[in-house]
Amino acid sequence: MSKLIMFHGRECPHCKAMMPLVDKLEKEEKVAFERLEIWHEEKNADLMRSYRPDIAPKCGGQLRTPTFFNPETKDVLCGEVPYDKLKDWALKQ
Amino acid sequence: MKKFWRCFVCNDIHYGFKPPEVCPTCLVKNAYVEISSAEAQKISGWTQTIMTREEFRQAIEKFAEKNEFRVCPDQAKVEMLFDGVFSNEQNHGLKYCPCRLLCKDFAEDLKLVCPCNFIIHETYKGKEDGECWCGLFVRRKK
Repeated sequence: MSKLIMFHGRECPHCKAMMPLVDKLEKEEKVAFERLEIWHEEKNADLMRSYRPDIAPKCGGQLRTPTFFNPETKDVLCGEVPYDKLKDWALKQ
Repeated sequence: MKKFWRCFVCNDIHYGFKPPEVCPTCLVKNAYVEISSAEAQKISGWTQTIMTREEFRQAIEKFAEKNEFRVCPDQAKVEMLFDGVFSNEQNHGLKYCPCRLLCKDFAEDLKLVCPCNFIIHETYKGKEDGECWCGLFVRRKK
């Protein structure tokens, strides 16, 4: 299982909405997300920026939150999505 | 490149490629002269006040008033976004969208200042239930 990242913002309502779904997924399946806050932790922001060429084309040309990212495969899932979509994405990693 | 312009009658400041033909404040024609950014900053800075949350709320309500979109009716969501917008202004200099991230290219990052030009975004354009990426502005129901 690859290491997965969730880039999120503390004051981003979509990220807040996704948190319980990520909790549920981690409980139900063998997946774990490293949750990195990007507006108050500069090193996390720098890390997300370093993946801009991989993330931006799949997120409307920008760096947006929440972004689910696999640093090994560079696969990206962007935005507030239904549980099943998040689950399908995470399980194919 | 955009420049600063000053109305020689009422000292209105304009930032853009061209000056307005008619000053929107004093209505004098051909009144604008090019000035430096330092001059513009001094002129606009001396009356500058800090915008409170309430003032920002009123500003965006007024902005949305005659548009096809409105401020999101979910108060809790709006408050959370305001927390982010104001914290970003304090920590990063401008009211950047709390649901995106600076790329450290100032011209690009200006596109993240709230309200952004969300009407061209795929989350809004052509969508009946369109909204800006963060959800602060939502399309009015027909």
